[in-house]
Amino acid sequence: MAKEVFYSGCAAAAYGAKDARVEVISSYPIRPYTGIMMELSKLVANGELDAEFVLGEGEHAQVSIAYGASSAGARAYTGSSGVGVVYAMECYSPAAGGRLPCQMAIADRALDPPGDFGSEHTDVMSARDQGWIMGWAESPQEVYDNTIMFYKIGEDRRVLLPQFCCQDGYFVSHIPGKMQLEDQKAVDEFLPPFNSPHPLNPEKPINHGPQIYADQGSAIDVQRAMAFEGLPAVIEEVVADYNKQFGRSYSPFVDEYMMDDAEIAFFLQGGHARTARFAVNNLRKQGVKAGVARLRFVRPWPTDAVAESLSKVKAVGTIETSTSYGGATRGGNLVHELMASLYNVPNKPLVTSFMAGLGGEIVTLDMFYDMAKVLSGAVKNQKVNHSYWVNFEPEVPFRPE
Amino acid sequence: MAKEVKTQNMELAKSLRQVDQEEYYVPGHRTCQGCGPALVYKLVSKAAGQDSIFLGPTGCMYVANTSYLCAPFAYNWMHTQITNGGAVASGIEAAYQVMIRKGKYKGPLPNIVVMAGDGGAIDIGLQAASAMMYRGHDVLFVMYDNESYANTGIQVSPATPYGANTTFTPPGKEVPEGRVLFPKDAPQLFIGGHPALHYVATASVAYPVDLINKCRKGLNYKGPAFVHLHAPCPKGWLFDARKTIEIAKLAIQTGMWVNYEWENGEYTYQHTPKEYKPVKEYMKDQYRFNHLTDAHYAKMQAFIDARLKAPGKPIAIPVQGPREQA
Repeated sequence: MAKEVFYSGCAAAAYGAKDARVEVISSYPIRPYTGIMMELSKLVANGELDAEFVLGEGEHAQVSIAYGASSAGARAYTGSSGVGVVYAMECYSPAAGGRLPCQMAIADRALDPPGDFGSEHTDVMSARDQGWIMGWAESPQEVYDNTIMFYKIGEDRRVLLPQFCCQDGYFVSHIPGKMQLEDQKAVDEFLPPFNSPHPLNPEKPINHGPQIYADQGSAIDVQRAMAFEGLPAVIEEVVADYNKQFGRSYSPFVDEYMMDDAEIAFFLQGGHARTARFAVNNLRKQGVKAGVARLRFVRPWPTDAVAESLSKVKAVGTIETSTSYGGATRGGNLVHELMASLYNVPNKPLVTSFMAGLGGEIVTLDMFYDMAKVLSGAVKNQKVNHSYWVNFEPEVPFRPE
Repeated sequence: MAKEVKTQNMELAKSLRQVDQEEYYVPGHRTCQGCGPALVYKLVSKAAGQDSIFLGPTGCMYVANTSYLCAPFAYNWMHTQITNGGAVASGIEAAYQVMIRKGKYKGPLPNIVVMAGDGGAIDIGLQAASAMMYRGHDVLFVMYDNESYANTGIQVSPATPYGANTTFTPPGKEVPEGRVLFPKDAPQLFIGGHPALHYVATASVAYPVDLINKCRKGLNYKGPAFVHLHAPCPKGWLFDARKTIEIAKLAIQTGMWVNYEWENGEYTYQHTPKEYKPVKEYMKDQYRFNHLTDAHYAKMQAFIDARLKAPGKPIAIPVQGPREQA
């Protein structure tokens, strides 16, 4: 039976993994994702989940254990935050290149220095080009749903790729929300057991990951690239199935709010979208035609969906929550790909990047109003900077409470 | 198709005649002439058999064995990073435990073997190796020791002996002996500190039956085992490629290498000579030691003499660390 609960993002991820019937779990403590493993360890200890709970000795090992388990044919689950995510960096490409669809929960966190527990997307955004599927949830419900959907997407024979199932640290991972746990039978029906096409199995020995001659490099890499080519169609299919089976209404790639007649738009991912929508409600009352386009997947980057959504407006600003020091716009990471998505669109909007929400800073309503001012000014003057550090520049000044 | 799965209760061999004649490490690799580690691979493959999953952390036995998308392994084999052989093996073993429990895999646990070089075992791979043994996964961790990072061009590793000329420890006016430090004691890193570990052994390519049996004993344990294998490297140690076995034997005759088992806390020693030859007998035919003076040989002899008082055990070694000298 489906059940209504009041769970944090961490608990939602754990129950998503439980209902996905994960078989091998590898843990290591780091805040804020730790809650996921605390919950799962209880479920295993109580006998509610039959899985091997392997105590990793670090994140590097966690990911190694997970893709090792996946190579043997088990459904594997791990997770991390912040510096832990980047400590494991070496292991991401072997998992993706081995086409081993394990899942890693991310409750994102700022990198050091300075020591900081707050949410920031820089940790796992640094791993966005390692061949993993990657997407953000904005609520505990979406965390639970994504956990199940991502396995279905990643384990699809047309795909076979590992997945980063991301949520904002604290803003989502630690704030409980009303959500629905689905009936186990229905989840089982939606997500059958992992059936690896290439397990390490004595019945049919295989050799995994031999060296290649340089000329063979492109030929191998193009296969991973082709898996990403086919991904959007699989995601659309899986999201539609999930919506239908469990009564949800997710857009596969871009979750739009008041975008139909919007002139300016906020473009972002994760939990700050909820503040953005609230700000848009208030801006609309003042006659500002604002909208929100929330990104659900960074990998695969949904070029067409992004272009379609944002070519409708006159100016768009990304709220970055990640850093790209010295990058093309001096802003964050999303803006580069947003610009690339819009480059060949006939009526492209003005695009800028708002650096905000770093280190777990709350992106307040006032900050959104200031950003709206910048975007409206851009429409009026047909000119905008590449990026703005919110609170630190005349256009978006610091405004004490 | 694999033959009937035979794991956990493999018989020990009395002579090479009793060892499976079939090769599971087949021709087609491009290891050097006289390669000790390749011989190790051949023997460990015979010990474990075809119903195995071998993990190959980066090293010679990855790079020289698997070229152009080909590999010489007639069993399951997977490359791991040089860092994570122990961790990937842990994941595979955990997966089999749960899949067997749930009936998703029918059959006994396959033999799971990590084939790590000295770097992948006790340098960059030490953390993963230790954690795997600590957690008690049913995996045989093999360290094939050619005493250097050989694949990258013979750089020093923690297993490199004192006085060796490697491409990171070249002898020169300021550092006449080249390699200044004495090696880590690999088995001692694991013995005693890992409650779930009951079997640690050392063996040499010079004694293949002993090597095979020690691997099988390790595999037969329901839990982790560590086997440290002496694998002379003609290219790195700079000796005539015909002399691999001769060098391996000399190592034992001079006390530079000692074959022993540590089983549930008890040590037993094998192939101990009645009288040890001077270490120079072993070192003189290896060009990597060619620059050493008698004073250096004496220093090495003092180290070996001390270690031979209790091989595999923690004892005082009369060696000054680099900060103690001066």
